[in-house]
Amino acid sequence: MDLQAVFPLSVALLQQMCVYLAVAYVLSRTRLFIPLTRATIRWPHRIACYVVFSAFCIMGTLLGLPVESGNAIANTPAIGAVLGGLLGGPVVGLSVGITGGVHRYLLGGMFGLAAAVDIIVQGLAGGLMHRYLIGHGKARLLFSPLLAGSLTFVTILIELGIDLALSHPFSEALYLVSLIALPELIANTAGAAIFVAILLDRRDSIERQSRSFSAKALEIAAHLEGVLREGFDPENSQRVARIILDQTGVGAVGITDREKTLAYIGIGADHHMPGQPIHSPHTLQAIASNEVIFADGNEVPFQCSIAMSCRLGSALVIPLVGEKDHVIGTIELYEPKTRIFSTINRTLGEGIAKLLSAQILSGRYEQQKSLLLQSELKLLHAQVNPHFLFNTLNIIISVTHDDAARARALLTDLAVFLRKNLKRPTEDVTLADEIEHINAYLRIELARFADRLSVDIDIPPELMGIHLPAFTLQPLVENAIKHGTSRLIRAGYIAIRARHEDTAILLEVEDNAGLYQPEAHSDGLGMNIVDRRIRNRYGEAWGVTMHCEPNVSTLATVRLPTEPQKP
Amino acid sequence: MITALIVDDELLARQALRRALEPEHDIQILGECGNAIEALARIQADKPDVVFLDIQMPQLTGLEMLAMIDAASMPHVVFLTAYDEYAVKAFEKNAFDYLLKPVTAERLALTLQRLRDSAGAVPQDYSVLPEAHQLRQIPCFIQHDVIFLKLDEIECVESRASGIYVSDTQGNERPTALRLNVLETRTPLLRCHRQFLVNLDQVQRLRYLEGGLAEFVMRRGRAIPISRRLLPEIKERLGIV
Repeated sequence: MDLQAVFPLSVALLQQMCVYLAVAYVLSRTRLFIPLTRATIRWPHRIACYVVFSAFCIMGTLLGLPVESGNAIANTPAIGAVLGGLLGGPVVGLSVGITGGVHRYLLGGMFGLAAAVDIIVQGLAGGLMHRYLIGHGKARLLFSPLLAGSLTFVTILIELGIDLALSHPFSEALYLVSLIALPELIANTAGAAIFVAILLDRRDSIERQSRSFSAKALEIAAHLEGVLREGFDPENSQRVARIILDQTGVGAVGITDREKTLAYIGIGADHHMPGQPIHSPHTLQAIASNEVIFADGNEVPFQCSIAMSCRLGSALVIPLVGEKDHVIGTIELYEPKTRIFSTINRTLGEGIAKLLSAQILSGRYEQQKSLLLQSELKLLHAQVNPHFLFNTLNIIISVTHDDAARARALLTDLAVFLRKNLKRPTEDVTLADEIEHINAYLRIELARFADRLSVDIDIPPELMGIHLPAFTLQPLVENAIKHGTSRLIRAGYIAIRARHEDTAILLEVEDNAGLYQPEAHSDGLGMNIVDRRIRNRYGEAWGVTMHCEPNVSTLATVRLPTEPQKP
Repeated sequence: MITALIVDDELLARQALRRALEPEHDIQILGECGNAIEALARIQADKPDVVFLDIQMPQLTGLEMLAMIDAASMPHVVFLTAYDEYAVKAFEKNAFDYLLKPVTAERLALTLQRLRDSAGAVPQDYSVLPEAHQLRQIPCFIQHDVIFLKLDEIECVESRASGIYVSDTQGNERPTALRLNVLETRTPLLRCHRQFLVNLDQVQRLRYLEGGLAEFVMRRGRAIPISRRLLPEIKERLGIV
């Protein structure tokens, strides 16, 4: 071996390799390399793989060093071919090999044909290794620099063997091989290993970036959860602005409705005051057009519309959208002149606006729902009055004449009943209160249905203190009479009971009529409201259930949690 | 002397009316009833001259009850109502007497005067009132209970010496307080024999017998005689020539 010739050749080839890898590194920062960072079966990705590695394969040949007047080239097309096969599979490997091989053959020289065959063999070797690793569940190893280096090393050894076998005369071939063997082994092995390392590095950085982005987005979402559901007002907006500022690290955050600034914190808070009417043309434009407005300070000029001395240099204004795409306000993110508005913050800003829009919407929906429930409850009270009052007065008139004491007692009951009815429906009462309400009601009904109604109330004393929403039992008892016992010819009977069962308290109203018909009860509005109100407050596991045995009995059961939170 | 029955499902209302009537020496209160079924039996048994009749009562309204009384037992009726706007209009239109609850002494005095004036006259025809015209259901007795049979549940009605019996499509036979001629006029049931009414929807075939006689065979298999006198009429009704 002619060390005098081999050593400078090795150094020179390594230098060429540096150029080669520099190109690889630069390209790795482009989108072109993203498909290469995953082993893939998708054809567009495979084609990208083929194009990139064919280019590197050809580049490896072109950057080679002619030896002995161009009879041989000490070069590195093996890296492109092996990696093309390793990452793209047998088909890609073979294609890269053929592309690179044809190119090398066209350059000629004593080793021309041999070198062309080499490259095809190398591409195929890479492809077969790919298939082996995937088939044995070792896809992880595809991106191992050690494996890529070793595989390349072996293929170079094969290459040298082929060169010897296919070239004539043998003595000259042996001499040429002795010159290029060491440089090629070193340069190709190191090159392949480093190339894979570059790919790995690229992949990690992509993942790190998306991981930190998702983490941040999730964190912001968690912090913002529910804040605006309670209402889109200055106080809640201030909380939201604080969260966005802390989480994104932008210079300043503002929130507006359609007319004025609701909240503003960060740089320039001295002259961007909450309560001010909107000045910024960007914000006005965002509201008018329902579009995200981005003024980066370069392409779209930005100047604070309030103070010339303001340090803010760029702004992102995102509309908040309510029902029917109606803009209800904006979120403004600002950066000072000294900083560039990051793409991540732009994307986050738009995501935040969507999240908040949804919250405001659902908040309004809930508000309307509870308003509806309130008005239905009011209706429930109104429903009681005219007929009941009329019947009661008739009863009292009929007893006034010869039983003044009875009339007085009935009037007292009516007064108690009406007083209890005046309570606000949102209030909580004790079970004892509710029973008092029912008793006043029942004494009147018992006078009316004197000879054909009897009632038993059986409540354990220890349950008398539990809290429950006002008007929970009374509508059920009224129902049992109105749609139950009052329609009987035989005597009616109503039992009102309470008991404990594990974590629940059960209140029962049972009649002996068995005339309950769910669909026929459009005017049994009261009971539905009682049920919905309990479900709304304590959850779906609670509420009113009806059980009817036709013509025998109807049982209404109210399930309440043992420890209802006091409002 | 005018005999009177008070029918109202509210005890206190009955007592109040009784108290108001007691000072009238020419009114004799025969009794009080708390529902229409009791009232029906009392009216047929005691034949009062006048019934003070509440309209809103459980199961069977006062108007429905009127449809169940045969013309021979029909008393004068003074309707009692608290707030049945619709019924009041019907009373006004037909010049029937009615009292709005609570009943005032002056208004009651006017009603009593009218009753005295028309004593002995034939009662008005109450069947012009909507619910008093056709029966929707027939009250039958099971021991001490009353059940209401819908018309399409009935197979036939039979009159025997011991009373009137309704057979339903399930094969149950139950006594009723209603007279056969009431059922004939107030329901679509067809009279086919002196003792029988039949629901034509339950008839399977008409079977001819010897001697120009015939009978209905019902879906459940029961045979019901057709009287020779009514046969031509029935054949014509059924479209058999």
